[in-house]
Amino acid sequence: MPNHLTLAVAGGRKTQGLVEYCGKATDRKIAVLTFTQTNQQEIRSRLASHKGDCNTLEVMGWYTFLLRHFAQPFLRFKFPKDRVMGFDFEGRPFQFAKGKSRFMDSGNRVYACELGKLAFELMEATPALLRRLECIYDEILIDEVQDLASFDWEILEVLLGSKIDVRMVGDVRQAVLSTNPRGQKNKKFGYAASLEWFRDKEAKGLLTIAYATITYRCRAEIATFSDTIFDATWGFPGTTSENLDETGHDGVFLLHTQHVDEYVGQFRPQCLRHSVSSAKHLNLDFQNFKGVKGATFDRVLLAPTANIENFIKKGTALEATAAAAFYVAATRARQSLAIVIDKVGTSTLPVWAPSD
Amino acid sequence: MTIVITRIHIRGYRIYKDFNLLPNPKMNILVGGNDAGKSTLMEAVSLALNGRIGGGSVLEELNPHWFNTELVQEFVAQRTAGKKPALPEILIELYLRDDDELQVLCGAVNTAVPTHACPGVFLRIYPNEEYQDMLDDWLKAPNALLPVEYYTCEWRSFADRELTKRPRVLSVATIDSRTVKSSAGVDYHLRQILSDHLETTEKAEISLGFRTVKASMTEGALATVNTRFSTLGASLLAEPMALAMDQTSRTSWESVITPHVDNVPFSMAGQGQQAAIKISLAMKRHSAKVKIVMIEEPENHLSHTSLSTLLDRVEKLASDDQQLFVSTHSTYVLNRLGLNSLHLLNRNHASKITALNPGTVRYFQRLPGYDTLRLVLAKKVVLVEGPSDEIIFERVFNDVHRLTPMAAGVDVISMRGLALARCLELCAAVDKPVAVMRDNDGIKPADLRIPVAKWLDGKKRELFIGEVSDGRTLEPQLITANGEPHLRDVLGITPKADLVTWMTREKTEGALLIAESPKALTAPNYMNAAAEFIQNA
Repeated sequence: MPNHLTLAVAGGRKTQGLVEYCGKATDRKIAVLTFTQTNQQEIRSRLASHKGDCNTLEVMGWYTFLLRHFAQPFLRFKFPKDRVMGFDFEGRPFQFAKGKSRFMDSGNRVYACELGKLAFELMEATPALLRRLECIYDEILIDEVQDLASFDWEILEVLLGSKIDVRMVGDVRQAVLSTNPRGQKNKKFGYAASLEWFRDKEAKGLLTIAYATITYRCRAEIATFSDTIFDATWGFPGTTSENLDETGHDGVFLLHTQHVDEYVGQFRPQCLRHSVSSAKHLNLDFQNFKGVKGATFDRVLLAPTANIENFIKKGTALEATAAAAFYVAATRARQSLAIVIDKVGTSTLPVWAPSD
Repeated sequence: MTIVITRIHIRGYRIYKDFNLLPNPKMNILVGGNDAGKSTLMEAVSLALNGRIGGGSVLEELNPHWFNTELVQEFVAQRTAGKKPALPEILIELYLRDDDELQVLCGAVNTAVPTHACPGVFLRIYPNEEYQDMLDDWLKAPNALLPVEYYTCEWRSFADRELTKRPRVLSVATIDSRTVKSSAGVDYHLRQILSDHLETTEKAEISLGFRTVKASMTEGALATVNTRFSTLGASLLAEPMALAMDQTSRTSWESVITPHVDNVPFSMAGQGQQAAIKISLAMKRHSAKVKIVMIEEPENHLSHTSLSTLLDRVEKLASDDQQLFVSTHSTYVLNRLGLNSLHLLNRNHASKITALNPGTVRYFQRLPGYDTLRLVLAKKVVLVEGPSDEIIFERVFNDVHRLTPMAAGVDVISMRGLALARCLELCAAVDKPVAVMRDNDGIKPADLRIPVAKWLDGKKRELFIGEVSDGRTLEPQLITANGEPHLRDVLGITPKADLVTWMTREKTEGALLIAESPKALTAPNYMNAAAEFIQNA
């Protein structure tokens, strides 16, 4: 079981690495698992152009994987008379729901938020499940592995110990999208703490971790700045930039509110904010931090939260979740990142002002 | 790579109310009277393996007669009585051996209790919820013709994954003895067999070649015709009309290319020849793709010698990774292919031979003419040594029960020198009630009983032998029981002739005279006992 985890920085071409790997491993039966529809489409089209059609390769979402190989075939090991009749993405069980109604609605559609727990319990209930998986796949590739949540980690742990080779790529610095908003189990892994989990597994000899530290997206200034978002105690290696393009306005800048309109007029950046309720004093065409995961923009204008402001002017460390969100937003930018802030404190970042 | 069906479960399909068969890994011979469901079983298996029937879709072919009449009648009766039973459904499940390469079909979506995960496929025909309104309407006045228009069907693996086409690992070849009727000369089954035989590249090559030939027709012979046509103005509109070869898929090579035997097209070959070719094609060793072979009544249309050749071929071709199902009415086929592979079908029930000594299997393979099938199909059996015993016993039975053995479901079979132990073993293996009679040949009955004692239980199977003091064979036993004068009278022989000598010489002749005589006959005790025993067994 040679299991591998590649932790990449933003813009590190993680997905491309997976695609290239699939291109080489032609005789292996491989499942590529992802967490978002867009990501699946992306991988499918890249694979198609990379290696034509290959019937030993399947690309599917994590939920589909759990439904198709866990819940559907083996549900009866928990509920002997039932069948999975569908998938309920939105629904939630009642708070104290027991037995079947804990996992499925009245039409036997499995709740998305309980699928991980159900899948894990079925895995515990019969050895046939893992054996079946081992016969179907030689390798399982997981993209954006940091997005695993709650019981997914238990399932992953079993997979790491199985005959199947597991290859994962992820970015623990940007664990924003959680698969289970309600599940409490393993909450500590939900965000950047998942790194601890992986390091623990590495110590036990279950996998090897490699770091891909080159960003092909962000300019060196932006990369270096993004490295400071997580303090040194995290032990992340530094980022190197391969983006040497010059536009005359490259790097990280601070920006006073009064200059925002002029800045936007001149550089047309993508404006980002934490959420609808933040940066209400700015009337800009915003997108939220969470919504831009995976996206790339030439220029970004960022409206900071109070915590981010404190981080910039006083160097106050951000807690993990906030840091992850900020990291995602900051590393969307290829050439320039402007942060709207009026009091710059001890920050040594250059302040942009319109030239006369 | 072996694909093995380990269990066939059929519920509600035709004569099968709730039927289970546990096939052998290699050879399966299905026997049973007419109507016992041999063809239905094969049909059901092929339905679940292909998700289609005879090349057509299940829903197109579905009709009310697919449903088990008994279940439908129960349903109608209960409905009429005001109860609310669910509409009858059809379910065919094939459980497969838990092999690694079949795991994609593995799951617990089957009817096994307790929950059991194994590879498998199922086909289910059930009322379509989308038509609930119409169904509710129909249910107000239900009758035995179910509204199949409102039914739908699902074909899935035990992993609950919908199957759209037959899984590659489950290739099946069906060889029916029906004559090829389609004008193309190649019926659906044969086409499938041929198709399994050809590599994808070969198929593509043939297809391309055929297109080229068609194109050259259009450019060649048809070209001159078309030149003439163009001046004809035959078309109603202004556009010129021309003849060209049909290049649509309707006229693909599959419908034109047909196997030839000795330069004779397949459809023109003899029926026996046709069957033989199909079998060879399906079972050829290098076509290891075909995993399951089903042969229906190979004895049809074949002379004895051809059948023998054919069975040779079946035996030779059956590779280790094929599972065979052969239905037959022929004892010869059964004995040759091995009695130990027998499944006895009796409408909703199947029993199979368990633990038959390999020596016994070989014994009957060497004597393929012996009517084991009759023995297997009979309700109860009386085994006797020869024809004269057979004739006399029938009379005795009739005297005791006022009923012919046939009418009582008792088949009297003469062993004609066959080893008693082998016959008894077979009877025990199929759990057949049997009474055996034999001559003592001067040996104490108790001693004769010892070697076969393990098959005898005194309830279902017993051995009956006359006392040594009453005579060595049937004839002296009869004399002892009836007295010489009476027997002479019955037989009408002259005082000059010696009775024992005459009877021994004219065995069957004498037996017939005795059997048909209106005069009373006293049966030897062991025969009476046998007649009593078998009636109660």
